[in-house]
Amino acid sequence: MKKNNILLGALTIMLLVVSCSDDFIDVPSRNENSEEFFNSQEDYEKALIGAYDLLQSTYLNVMLGEIASDNTLAGGESATDVPGIQEVDDMIHGTTNQQLRDIWGWMFAGVNRANYILEFQDKTEFSGKENIIGQAKFLRAYYYFELVKWFGDVPLAVDTRIQFGEQFVVERTPKAQVYAQIEADLIAAAAALPATQNVVGRATKGAAQSLLGKVYVYQDKFEEAATVLASAISGPYSLVTDYASIFEHEGENGSESIFEVQYTDVEGAGFDCLQCSEGNVAVGFNGIRQYDGPTFDSGYSFNVPTQEVVDAFETGDIRKDVAILDIDAWNAANGSSSGEGYEHTGYFNRKYIARKGDLNTGDQNLTNPNNYRSIRLADVLLLAAEANNRKTPANDAQALVYLNQVRQRAGLAALSVTGPDLRQAIDQERRVELVGEGHRFFDLVRTGAASREIDGFVAGKHEVFPIPQIEIELAGSRWAQNPGY
Amino acid sequence: MKTHVKRFFTVTFLLVSSVMLAQQNISGTVMEQDTGGGLPGVTIVISGTDRGTTTDFDGNFTISANKGDVLLISYIGFDSQEITVGDETSIIVQLVEGQNKLNEIVVTGYGTQIKKEVTGAVAVIGAESIEKLNPVRIEQALQGQVAGVNITSSSGAPGAASNIRIRGIATNGDNRPLILVDGNVIEDLSVINPRDIESVNVLKDASAGIYGVRASNGVILITTKGGRRNMPLKVELNAYNGIQNTTKRIGVLNATEYGYILNESQVIAGNSAPFSDLSSLGVGTNWQNQVFQNAYIADTNLTATGGNEKSNYSFGLGYLNQDGIVGGEKSNYNRITARGNYTLDILDNLQLKSTAIYTRSNRDKLSENAIGSILFNALNMNPTLPVVDSSGAYSLAEGLGGEVINPVAQIANTYDTDQIDKISATLGLEYTFLNDLSIQSRFQYNHANVNTDVFRPVVNYGSGKVFNIDRNELTENRNNFQDYTWDTFLTYEKSISNHNLKVLVGQSVFKTYGTFESYTGYDLPSNVYGESSLADAAEIIDNQEQNKEREANTFDVRLLSHFSRLEYNYKGKYLLSAVVRRDGSTRFGPNNRFGIFPSGSVGWLVSDEDFFANNNIVNFLKFRASYGIIGNDRIGDYRYVSTLGGEATYVANEERVFGLAEGALANPNIKWEEQVTSNIGLDANLFNDAVNLSVDYYVRKTEDLLLTAQVSGILGASAPGSSAPTVNAGDVENKGLEFLIGYQGNISQDLKMNVSYNFATLQNTVLFVSGDNGFEQGGSFGIGLEPPSRMVAGQPIGFFYGLETDGVFQNQTEVNAGPTTNIAPKVGDLRYVDQDGDGDVDLDDRVNIGDPIPDVTMGLNLGFNYKNIDFSSSAFASIGNEIVRNYERNQPFVNRRNAVLDRWVGPNSTNENPRVSAGANPNGLFSDYFVEDGSYVRIQNIQIGYTFPDEVLNTLNIKKLRIYGSVNNVHTFTKYSGYDPSASNGAPIGGGIDLGFYPVPRTFIAGLNLTF
Repeated sequence: MKKNNILLGALTIMLLVVSCSDDFIDVPSRNENSEEFFNSQEDYEKALIGAYDLLQSTYLNVMLGEIASDNTLAGGESATDVPGIQEVDDMIHGTTNQQLRDIWGWMFAGVNRANYILEFQDKTEFSGKENIIGQAKFLRAYYYFELVKWFGDVPLAVDTRIQFGEQFVVERTPKAQVYAQIEADLIAAAAALPATQNVVGRATKGAAQSLLGKVYVYQDKFEEAATVLASAISGPYSLVTDYASIFEHEGENGSESIFEVQYTDVEGAGFDCLQCSEGNVAVGFNGIRQYDGPTFDSGYSFNVPTQEVVDAFETGDIRKDVAILDIDAWNAANGSSSGEGYEHTGYFNRKYIARKGDLNTGDQNLTNPNNYRSIRLADVLLLAAEANNRKTPANDAQALVYLNQVRQRAGLAALSVTGPDLRQAIDQERRVELVGEGHRFFDLVRTGAASREIDGFVAGKHEVFPIPQIEIELAGSRWAQNPGY
Repeated sequence: MKTHVKRFFTVTFLLVSSVMLAQQNISGTVMEQDTGGGLPGVTIVISGTDRGTTTDFDGNFTISANKGDVLLISYIGFDSQEITVGDETSIIVQLVEGQNKLNEIVVTGYGTQIKKEVTGAVAVIGAESIEKLNPVRIEQALQGQVAGVNITSSSGAPGAASNIRIRGIATNGDNRPLILVDGNVIEDLSVINPRDIESVNVLKDASAGIYGVRASNGVILITTKGGRRNMPLKVELNAYNGIQNTTKRIGVLNATEYGYILNESQVIAGNSAPFSDLSSLGVGTNWQNQVFQNAYIADTNLTATGGNEKSNYSFGLGYLNQDGIVGGEKSNYNRITARGNYTLDILDNLQLKSTAIYTRSNRDKLSENAIGSILFNALNMNPTLPVVDSSGAYSLAEGLGGEVINPVAQIANTYDTDQIDKISATLGLEYTFLNDLSIQSRFQYNHANVNTDVFRPVVNYGSGKVFNIDRNELTENRNNFQDYTWDTFLTYEKSISNHNLKVLVGQSVFKTYGTFESYTGYDLPSNVYGESSLADAAEIIDNQEQNKEREANTFDVRLLSHFSRLEYNYKGKYLLSAVVRRDGSTRFGPNNRFGIFPSGSVGWLVSDEDFFANNNIVNFLKFRASYGIIGNDRIGDYRYVSTLGGEATYVANEERVFGLAEGALANPNIKWEEQVTSNIGLDANLFNDAVNLSVDYYVRKTEDLLLTAQVSGILGASAPGSSAPTVNAGDVENKGLEFLIGYQGNISQDLKMNVSYNFATLQNTVLFVSGDNGFEQGGSFGIGLEPPSRMVAGQPIGFFYGLETDGVFQNQTEVNAGPTTNIAPKVGDLRYVDQDGDGDVDLDDRVNIGDPIPDVTMGLNLGFNYKNIDFSSSAFASIGNEIVRNYERNQPFVNRRNAVLDRWVGPNSTNENPRVSAGANPNGLFSDYFVEDGSYVRIQNIQIGYTFPDEVLNTLNIKKLRIYGSVNNVHTFTKYSGYDPSASNGAPIGGGIDLGFYPVPRTFIAGLNLTF
């Protein structure tokens, strides 16, 4: 009996296991299926965070926007430190430049994340949806504006992600059409977004209007620009009187800040995924080489200001010592010490270099928490001044009002020139107000001054950057390259 | 006439009577020489007759035989003996475990075979060979023992894993073979104590096909010791102690040489010389001497084996403690293993088999083989700096770039420990019924807790160092891994006249699952490790917080398989084996859920043929061939569906906010990697089994390699957490010849010798990568430079892709005539070959400048036994592998190799090494200047032992006592200038790059084996 029981038990066990069926291996993924998402307000908000994420990767656009211009030199450890950056500085960039490829890829990643939300914008209804859709449109416009500035004609995708397979059929949309979509997005965003948001750092009505104004100015549409920029200026913004505080930690998201890319130092980062970093990578790259002393922290000494831009400041301009750090004077005054990198000029981009007091989470050069002041009221005022001066008929009086607000804040006397002199004054003011913030190269290009000011700039070629050759190949080798490359 | 007849009858009568008188009852006992226990079931046959008997449970027998008859005594696993009957009527026979390998049991999947009948390319390594090498990890015992199995150490640090590659590199993905210990899947071999192993069986060809989709990298089946029936309790104690040291220090400059060269390089760059007085520098600090030290190792094992009529068992306990030659205790590895193995016949036809292994190990780790690792820093550190400065603090490494820091300080500030707590258990039941059928069900289970603690104290190594820590942090990872395998199969065995048939049908279910937990605490109150705990930290972050919402910190992967095998032989002479297996995995896409994997092999025992009968030279000859389609399922999870596993993190109020975004782009067609493998071979024994020979030729073609080939950036694949879809789009081929020859025999009465030699050639070629000009790249060289390794059609996988050099520019004329680089070359710089002839040397001029895959690997084992003394040695060679020398930091103030003393200083001074210059120069680009020949011959082990004679031991009740001394990693003959030419991180693309590899130590051991 006992023997039979054992046998029975053994056989039962054996037979039980044979009864596993094929769906044993059907285990659903822990992560949600992307096609079955957007079922609640929370889903939309989560996807929106994903769309904001790529703003943090625009540190590269900011860095190269200065390095490509006459404001700064590439710097770094040596002539071979990040060859892509060195090439852009010397205007010898070609179709195998890794940094340009990063900008192309990261901006399109942002476009796709914004389009993901807009693809499903009609799926679920809830109150407050316009705010979310408005922000998604603002972000799509932001990313496309970067793409069109850097590369000219780019594939345009509206309210749908570009799916695997489509890269072989999609064409480069002409610039004008892309701009038209950007304008439409920003107009819709301006209408849908509130003047202020509950969450710090989110796009607002003023941000959409300001960006729209800038986009108009870039296309020389000065009449439209003047109108929309006036609306932006009348928003809840005011110039910060203590200029030195704007770029410090306590000045983040201040009264002058219309749109600011948010960063933090609490998360670690590595070189294997720079676009993943929650810190401002440009700040570590711009930092003082091998620095030992108060207030500041070390960095890789890229993006170093030239003597020329230092000399561009008028005497008495309080902005000079905020924007430019004269390292030799600083070291002498504070007993600190520092090293010299490649192309050492003696100056550093003081607005965006590493400061003491942050957590220095590893890799500490990649996790600086300095927010990027993407759109400041001063920037908008100067754009408005330019628009009013260059539109027909010109409104120089209004232009002077805006210009002098910026000048007076900077401790300089008001101007009263008009016409082409005013235009030159505005261009000059723009340079010293916004040095180090990534705007200079494109300002020179759109005003036609680039070939005059930038060494090695070839008109008809360098206004846009080449589409990475490998990107053309990966899309089926159908697109023409930008002229000259 | 009458006399002849009379004589004839007398003689006949005498003969007959002598025969009748001499027919006597011989009784005796057959014993096993090793243990002294009686052997049951031993066959005793009178030569030339068919009269015989077998021994009883105690090994006793009786037989009627005449004086002068020859008794043939044979027993499986033991050397047969012939005893001529003399005057004695009582005989004691001592049988020794057999050298004759033909009857050895080979473990194949879900069953066993006799070596003679194996039709696949299978290699067996027994416990004796393993024990001779005293390995800390079992992989160390495989090196050089099996042709076609290449073991590269990923590091010489205690507890470090090895890479096992069977017959080349079959994929750019995961090349690890499937390893089963008593049927249980084991990924991390550090938990197995080599002393517990009975045999290691390596299935190299399509015979691994019984494992279907997990077989394409080969299969290793390990069985642990189990004891034997009717064996009296045998207790063994094996212990050794040893000292380890490094076999090599790399020649770098001393302080005076450093100062001299630095002055020169600065002056050439147009700066002033930093050292005005070289004579005061002296020798300075030898940083390698500061980080290398002699380190202690000790290993103790206690094993008890035995068995009675219905059961057999084996229990073992082991403790290993090993310090590291870099960092001493900071690089310590210790391990406790406890093992039990128990087989019981519950009923005559119902058998229970169970095993359990418990391992607890602790490993302290140091940074290695990376920029800024300990040895990297020791080589680059400024020799004029002392280890500690005048205040007693570790000196700061100023001016040496961001990564080079004081390595002694680095060791002191590293606190990185892995602790593994693992149980591996198996339980099986086998029920035999109806004479020919048996059904077996086995459940195998693993449970492991892997805990890692990393503490980073506040430390300043110098200005701008990436390793400076401002706020201390403690990270605790608590990961849990579990898996189970449940096999059930039915075997049918039948013999009809001379046809022998064995059929197997079965199912296997495998599930692996686990959970990841990780917390990091910042600002602990104490900066001393161990004084405060994570709970005391000012800020604690849950690193898995985002994932936990969706349970994405867990995983669950399953495999469902059905298989069937047919084994047929006719007279044991014509052999056939055929296998079909169907596998389905949670990893495969919906369009390719299940795969079918057929394989088969045939064999012909030529030596059993009649025409072969009287061959005096070859007594055993077998031809075999195999062919199969098998797969690799290590392809990553959920690649077939687009899920929101991407990273979506932004910031609000300086806090992170977490969203959701698409992860890797989907490929619904994703499937396993598939391999077609074919093998032909022969096995032969010559001169009465004195010499054994094995030759194999194989071709393995792996298709559908998984590549995350680049896709257009407009798809958004470069978003954080996203990536291009993984597609099956690559082919690679490995082919080679394997050869093994061995001899064992008695040279004289007291002197026995055994020697074996094996070699394997390997030719690896990538056939296709995703598109016409498709390529994959990997590895890293220098800082900010392009990846040095590539995978491209027509070349070996992971070859080095860089510039070719052509001497040094000796004068300005040569510079003007030569090609330019992005930094204009000057006199004394390296001249590169302008492959495309456009006058400019750039990324388009890169060619194949070497690869890390050896062309030939060889092993040699040599041993002698003279009376009570035994000697054994083994050597291993790898020929044709190249290594990239990547431990020199390209920065003006770091130290240099002393090869720089032969730098270019003027016309015709040298054509090999360029000038030194602190300024911009093109000599740091990736070229064959940094690729060295890594071929080497390593004497792995020399051991001499003495076994005390029985007379001495009997008084103490000890069965066997042997003491021995041995040296591991005696010497390596190589041209490579780095620490260890066997260095590689094992990556298929990116392997073979040396960033200051922790060398494998030389160990001097004294030990003893004691058997009670």
